[in-house]
Amino acid sequence: MRTTLSELGASLSRNKSMTISLVVTMTVSLLLAALGLLIQSQADRTEKYYGDKLQLQVNLCTKNSPSATCLGGVATDEQKQAVQDALDDNPEVKSFEVRSAADNYDRARQILTQSETGRKQLETLGPDAFPETYYVTLKNPDEFDGVVSQVSGMDGVGNVSSLRKLLGPLFEILEKMRWAALATSLLLIVAAILQVSNTIRMTAYARRREIGIMRLVGASSWHIQLPFVLESLIAALISAALAAGGLAAFMYFVVYGYLRDTLGQLTTWVRWQEAVSVMGWTTLLAVLLALVPTLVMTRKYLDV
Amino acid sequence: MIRFDKVTKTYPGQKRPALASLDLEIEKGEFVFLVGASGSGKSTFLRLVLRETRPSTGRVYVAGKEINKLSSWKVPKLRREVGTVFQDFRLLPNKTVHENVAFALQVIGRSRAEINQLVPETLELVGLEGKSHRMPDELSGGEQQRVAVARAYVNRPKILIADEPTGNLDPATSVGIMKLLDRINRTDTTVIMATHDSSIVDQMRKRVIELHEGHIVRDEARGIYGYQS
Repeated sequence: MRTTLSELGASLSRNKSMTISLVVTMTVSLLLAALGLLIQSQADRTEKYYGDKLQLQVNLCTKNSPSATCLGGVATDEQKQAVQDALDDNPEVKSFEVRSAADNYDRARQILTQSETGRKQLETLGPDAFPETYYVTLKNPDEFDGVVSQVSGMDGVGNVSSLRKLLGPLFEILEKMRWAALATSLLLIVAAILQVSNTIRMTAYARRREIGIMRLVGASSWHIQLPFVLESLIAALISAALAAGGLAAFMYFVVYGYLRDTLGQLTTWVRWQEAVSVMGWTTLLAVLLALVPTLVMTRKYLDV
Repeated sequence: MIRFDKVTKTYPGQKRPALASLDLEIEKGEFVFLVGASGSGKSTFLRLVLRETRPSTGRVYVAGKEINKLSSWKVPKLRREVGTVFQDFRLLPNKTVHENVAFALQVIGRSRAEINQLVPETLELVGLEGKSHRMPDELSGGEQQRVAVARAYVNRPKILIADEPTGNLDPATSVGIMKLLDRINRTDTTVIMATHDSSIVDQMRKRVIELHEGHIVRDEARGIYGYQS
C-alpha cells in the first residue's frame, strides 16, 4: 500500500498538466450539474410556495369595465349574491374570500406609490376603478376551467384571472434554465469522460514498462489498476470539492446575498440544506464519472 | 512440470500454425534449450507457458494447472510460479538495483520484512552484493542481466524462462550468466532457455529441443546446438 501511494504521488506530479485540465473540466461540468439540480429544487419550492396561493381571482364589474357582462355598470348586490351562490354550490370550490374595492385600492396604492410612474398611474385611477374581488381557493388548483367558464359568463363579473397564468412565464423560465444547465453539464460530462479516458491511455502508455513487468511477475489485476483508480478518484474528489465551493459561493453571494433580500416576496428561495444535498449528489456523480471510464479503460489498455 | 498435449496454435490471419500438434513434456528440475530459426515457434511456446496466449487446440499444463481452463483472475498466480528473463533486460531505469528486484515482490503484496530479507539474499546469489544502490545505467550489460535474473528468481518460482538472455552480451559475460542459470537450476528450478548461441548450448550439454516451422525436429537429452542458421 505504501508503495502504491508513493507511485500515485509520482504519477500525479508527472501528469500535473493533465491532472489539472481533468480537474478543471470536471469542476465546470459538476458545477453546472449542481446548478441544474439547484434550479430544480428552486422550481419545486416555487411550485410548493404558490401551490396554496393558486387562487382564482374573480373581479366584479367596475363602472368602466369593458366586458359584455358589465353593461349595467358596477355589479349590483343581486349579481354579487348570484356569483357567491354559484361559488358556494360549485363542488370544485374549496372556499373563497371577498376583498372589497377599497381594500384592493389600498393594496394597489401601497405598491404603486413606491415608484414615480406608479404615482402618476395612481392619479388617473380613483378608488372606483378597482373592482370588488373574490379570491377562490380550488380543491384542485390545476382544474380551474370549470369554475372559470361558469363564473365568467355571469352578469356583474368583469373578468376571471388566475395567478397560475400570471406565474406561467416564471415557471417557464425556471424550466428552461434547468434544461439549459443540465444540457450544458451533460455536454461537459461527455468531455470529462473522454478526458478521463485519454488521461488513462496516456498514463498507461507512460507506464507501459512498469505495467509489463507487473504482469510478468504476477501482480493481480487490481494491483495494476489501483494506481489508476486512485488517480482518477483523487481528481474527481478535488473537482467535487471545487464544484461544492462554487455552489457555496453561489448560495452565499447570489441566493443569500441578493435574491432573498431583493426578490424575497416573489417566492421562497433555496436554502443551505438543499445546496448541501445537491453537493452530495454531485460528489456521487464525480466518483462515478471517474470510476466507470477508468475501470473500462484500464481493462482495455492494460489487458489485465 | 510442463506438458504440451497435441498443442496447435494458429494466430488469426495466418495460414501456417506457429505450433503444430506439439507433444512435449519437461520434468521438474530440467534444464532445456529451445533452439530453432526465427519463426520456428520458440516464442509461441514460451508465450503459452506464460499464458500470454492460449492454444488453438490441445492442452498445455504448467505447474500442475491446465492453462486453457485457468480463469483470467488466476493467471497472476500462475505467473508467480514462472520467472522470466529477456534479451533486453527490461529493468526500470528510474529505480535502483534493489528497487528493481523489490518491485517484483511489492506488486504481489509481499511484506516489507520479507522483501528486506529476500532481495539482498537474491542479489548475493546473482553476484551483485554491494551494488544494490546502483542505477541500471551505471551497470554493465552482464550486471543488468543479473538484476533481471534476480528479479525473476526472487520469488523462488518453480520455472524460469529465459528468452535469449545472452543475446546482448559478449561471450565471456554470457558464460557468467549461464553459470548463474545453472546454479538456479540446481535449486530444482526448471529452466527453459530459448537461444541462438551455439557455443553455449554446446558447452552446457543439456537437453536440446529444436523447433522448425512449429514442429519438434529434434529432442536430445544431452544435445548440441547442431544446426546452422
